[in-house]
Amino acid sequence: MEGKVGIGLRRDIADVILKSKELSPDFLEIVPENWMGIGGQWNRIRKAAVEKYPITCHGLSLSIGSAEELDWNFIRDLKSFLDENNVRIFSEHLSYTKSQNAHLYDLLPIPFRRDAVDHVVDRIKRVQETLERPLAIENVSYYTPVAAEMTEIEFISEIVERADCKLLLDVNNVYVNAFNHKYDAKEYIGKLPLDKVEYIHMAGHEQVEPDLIIDTHGQPIIDPVYDLFEWTIQRMDPVPVLLERDYNFDELDQLQSELAHLKSIIKKHWKVSYESSTGKISSAEPSGVSSAEPSGVHVTTK
Amino acid sequence: MKLHEDTARIQDLLGEYCRTGEDTEIPGVTPGRVHHYRRLVYNVVRDTMDSAYPITLAALGEEHWDLLVQDFFSSGIPQTPQIWKLPFEFYRYHASQETGSRIRKPYLEDLLYFEWLEIEVHTMPDRPYPDFRKHGNIFNDRLAINPEYEIIRLEYPVHLHAVKEATDLKGDYFVLIFRSPETGYVQFLNLSVLNTYIFTRLVEDGVPLNELKGDIASVSGIESGKYLDDALEKFIGDLMKKKLILGFLKN
Ligand SMILES: [Fe+2]
Repeated sequence: MEGKVGIGLRRDIADVILKSKELSPDFLEIVPENWMGIGGQWNRIRKAAVEKYPITCHGLSLSIGSAEELDWNFIRDLKSFLDENNVRIFSEHLSYTKSQNAHLYDLLPIPFRRDAVDHVVDRIKRVQETLERPLAIENVSYYTPVAAEMTEIEFISEIVERADCKLLLDVNNVYVNAFNHKYDAKEYIGKLPLDKVEYIHMAGHEQVEPDLIIDTHGQPIIDPVYDLFEWTIQRMDPVPVLLERDYNFDELDQLQSELAHLKSIIKKHWKVSYESSTGKISSAEPSGVSSAEPSGVHVTTK
Repeated sequence: MKLHEDTARIQDLLGEYCRTGEDTEIPGVTPGRVHHYRRLVYNVVRDTMDSAYPITLAALGEEHWDLLVQDFFSSGIPQTPQIWKLPFEFYRYHASQETGSRIRKPYLEDLLYFEWLEIEVHTMPDRPYPDFRKHGNIFNDRLAINPEYEIIRLEYPVHLHAVKEATDLKGDYFVLIFRSPETGYVQFLNLSVLNTYIFTRLVEDGVPLNELKGDIASVSGIESGKYLDDALEKFIGDLMKKKLILGFLKN
């Protein structure tokens, strides 16, 4: 998968991705929470995806930074899901999504503090032990620091080194944070433990105020982020790269051109061949996905 | 825990603000930025509820609906790590709070339950299908039933009528919600009390329809004979057409 370019299998677009002749990702990223313990139509789509493509998983609800104990039942189910789908790369966010025992379903910024480093390091180690695979932790976009006592780069670097985990480097998030918090993106990336990067995310964003960008995953990647990506990959070994898009799927050819753009940059700096290197990638149409129209009345497709 | 109390408290301040939207002093933040977190967090929850409960949303209207979502999110303590299951917690929260009677929308609980069941049946884990053959005799052979269904009882017929009419038709309604074996799409059937009895007995007893005819006749007050046979044939034929009865058990 090193140097390959994938796309997220979001539910809204899952069927389209699996049937599309226009889109040719090398692998698919799945959010396990959206597919775990599900039967019926979605399960068929998941199976078809796993049959056709290599899969990476990107979790949302682990809440590595929370004060409350980790949800071990959930983590055990997660491990079964990863095993079942042959997933090697599992990533999560360096953030918290749970507070006072309530899930919040979005990524809140952990205070950049020494005790938070100790806390997160300890939790990543325990999660890795249970999952029996490394965790790739992602640098998240944040819109304000909270009660920080150290810099973001010190915070993330120390966690990755001490937890002996991997890093999911989201290049767009670096761009967004550098803009929002007025630092130099290249200097930041230069200080990261790039030898620990296992996976890269590339995405679009939205500027909502003159001095604020929100990480929306709904827009095309902008040129300065492509430039930062190109600068970055010259300083590290090949890893899989994901085009992260969660909304606005209207134009498939536009997504395909983003995949192609990423590949053209990668080819300049990494030795990668995009001729179907695994039998899996070049396999035929997905099986098991029903294209039949629903019959009868009162049909819902939620 | 290695997180100091102070740091944990600060994290909870931001978390609580995101859940409730009530302004609070959070130390060491950039002015004018924190409200984006409340907006982003709340939008995710609101979008999830909007797409799970389109009929309830339309029935209550935007403003009223938003109050229900806010109430749930600030006081309901969401427990599921899988956000697509959150609408179930929303239903359970408002049922436990008796929100429907408080806001004088007595149909509310039924409507939420009905809309949630569509999602539940659509997404529930696959259930093992019985071995079946296509041809047989509907009275003498044991029927193979599609295992992917739920039967619910409603007080208000929100599955049949707009809420205004449904409110005046309080009674006992049974709805069978099932997943199509071919497409995975969800359909529902309104069942009479008698048909609910027949279907439930078929599932629970696993015997040919003939063996239940005596009980069906005494429950319904319809004499055994051609009239009852025709009615049963029509009912079973209808279930077969809808793929709720798949055929006849092999063994
Ligand atoms: Fe990302």
